[in-house]
Amino acid sequence: MDYLYDGTFEGLLTCIYYHYKNEAASGIYEISKYQHSMLNESEVIETDILKASIVSESILKKISREAYVDIYYCYLSFLENKENYILDFLVFAFKYGKNTMNFYTHDKVLPIKEASLKVTREVHRFLGILRFSDIDGILFAKFSPDNDVLLLVVDHFADRYRFEKFLIYDEKRKKAAIYADETWEIKENINIESIEYSEDEAMIQGLWKQYFTDMAIKERKNFNLQFQFVPARYRKNMSEFK
Amino acid sequence: MNESLFNKLRILSDAAKYDVSCVSSGVERKNKTVGGIGNASSAGICHAWSSDGRCISLLKILLTNDCIYDCSYCLNRVTNNTERATFTPEEVAELTIQFYRRNYIEGLFLSSAVEKSPDHTMENIYKVLELLRYKYNFWGYVHVKVIPGADPMLVQKAGMLADRMSVNIELPTEKSLRALAPQKKIENIIKPMSVINNEITRTIEDEKFFRSTPRFVPGGQSTQMIIGATPDSDKTILGLSQNLYDRFNMKRVFFSAYIPVISSPNLPAISTMPPLLREHRLYQADWLMRFYYFNCEELFTETDQNLDLDFDPKMMYALRNLNRFPLEINKAPYEELLRIPGLGVKSAQKIVRERKNAQLSYDSLKKMRTVLKRAKYFITVKGKYYGNVKFDPEIIKTELRRMEVQQQLSIYDLI
Ligand code: SF4
Repeated sequence: MDYLYDGTFEGLLTCIYYHYKNEAASGIYEISKYQHSMLNESEVIETDILKASIVSESILKKISREAYVDIYYCYLSFLENKENYILDFLVFAFKYGKNTMNFYTHDKVLPIKEASLKVTREVHRFLGILRFSDIDGILFAKFSPDNDVLLLVVDHFADRYRFEKFLIYDEKRKKAAIYADETWEIKENINIESIEYSEDEAMIQGLWKQYFTDMAIKERKNFNLQFQFVPARYRKNMSEFK
Repeated sequence: MNESLFNKLRILSDAAKYDVSCVSSGVERKNKTVGGIGNASSAGICHAWSSDGRCISLLKILLTNDCIYDCSYCLNRVTNNTERATFTPEEVAELTIQFYRRNYIEGLFLSSAVEKSPDHTMENIYKVLELLRYKYNFWGYVHVKVIPGADPMLVQKAGMLADRMSVNIELPTEKSLRALAPQKKIENIIKPMSVINNEITRTIEDEKFFRSTPRFVPGGQSTQMIIGATPDSDKTILGLSQNLYDRFNMKRVFFSAYIPVISSPNLPAISTMPPLLREHRLYQADWLMRFYYFNCEELFTETDQNLDLDFDPKMMYALRNLNRFPLEINKAPYEELLRIPGLGVKSAQKIVRERKNAQLSYDSLKKMRTVLKRAKYFITVKGKYYGNVKFDPEIIKTELRRMEVQQQLSIYDLI
């Protein structure tokens, strides 16, 4: 039986619940991306917070916090077929319990670890390369991360710009984190068109661009290395590359 | 802010860009103040990579390049005809805040030439700190240079507000200092270093009794040395670093390859290439001393007082001490694993963790993404040697050279 879920983490965990309590899953897929086939039957699973939390609690208790974080990060990643890697991992992990994460190289563990690492790396990268601009006193940043990392970067900036208002917009997934008065929320389905910069804002961006360009030591030019650190796909939202 | 700011920024960032002691890691601080801005992240965050591939994490500028001193290796020296500029403390603070709000930078790295007098300059540096911390309530990272010869009281005041301070030692021996920077006295460098160290120790002690004691330069102090302007050997340089780590609890000692800017009988010829590879080897050796339990002495022999330029210091150590190898991956204690060329702390930790479960095979090492290119000549896995050449230093060297040529590594790839 293929289980179909709504794309939320809770939905995915609900499927895991059914895998154990009802019928073993032959696969778990997001409804919107599912291709019906002749071979497998499928069933749409309604997300159930209670069932999901039973699963998450037993992951924390019987496996480990590390495993839980890795699964969650893997879920946020763009790894294809990630739901089934997670399913396979959990089946394996519930058998090995607390020792699971020590099987770093096992083929049930490695893909989860690697996906999770990729997400962690992208989060860390965006802590550095996310660029804000001041729009009438509100800090505004736009990005298109490969993985769904919006939620994972907000805390860092909420602490850093604690007494500011800011908005971080994921243009790929059309959602935004909005922060004001020391709290934040995520809003889905938003569209933000291009934005006009004030003169002051343009000047600061100009100063930064000049500083950025001047800092390079000509004798050490190394564009390859620069591309490794800041791949082209990230550059369109960075003022120094405009 | 106005147009002339562009000009000042151009001149004063250009004059600061060769300074290498620019890392923001090592301070963890949450933003707790009312109305405050900024936190510091202990992992260090790189914000941008310039076209030379180097990371930019701090706004690195000089307060002024207008110097009364005449150090012969320096472009800002009084006798050099160069464009001069001076920021006001207000301008520096404002620029820092505006860059920080946009997430361009992690903080400020402020250095300066000696304008008018050491005290005058140190006073202005303090003013920048004061503005940032109290006017803007900024609690991001700030690293300031101490001007040798400045009043210890000023050093102390600045240290209460800075995250890191550095007093540059510039040259590794008194003799070299006398030859190239005669106005700088060794005591004027050493004294503030010990003031800083004593204050750090004192506030750490106080903290045990009074919870509210503010930490004095919580990121510690660092220093910088110019490499290749004088004939001092690598052993002298690293010996001094070790000394500084031990005596002053130095966080980092930075090395900066001398870039010839003037001809003088005391200096290498203008056509000399900056010794970048040597600088890189010194960093590697320094790294070994700080994280791999190496002692300075171990990296040299009676006859060899300089690091090898062809091979990294850990590799040279292994080749000279082949009798301690090969090490069995499944048995060697952690500290020994760290001595295997090409194997880093992370890999060594993974190996120790993974081998608790089961004996490691050569394949599982590969799966763990352990880079075995160089390590394979110095290990056995389940008793088997994978180096596939004779266990002889010269033969291994030839192999390594062959590999290197194939890869055409530029040294910048290593930095
Ligand atoms: S004191 Fe500093 S800025 Fe002045 S000449 Fe010497 S090295 Fe250069």
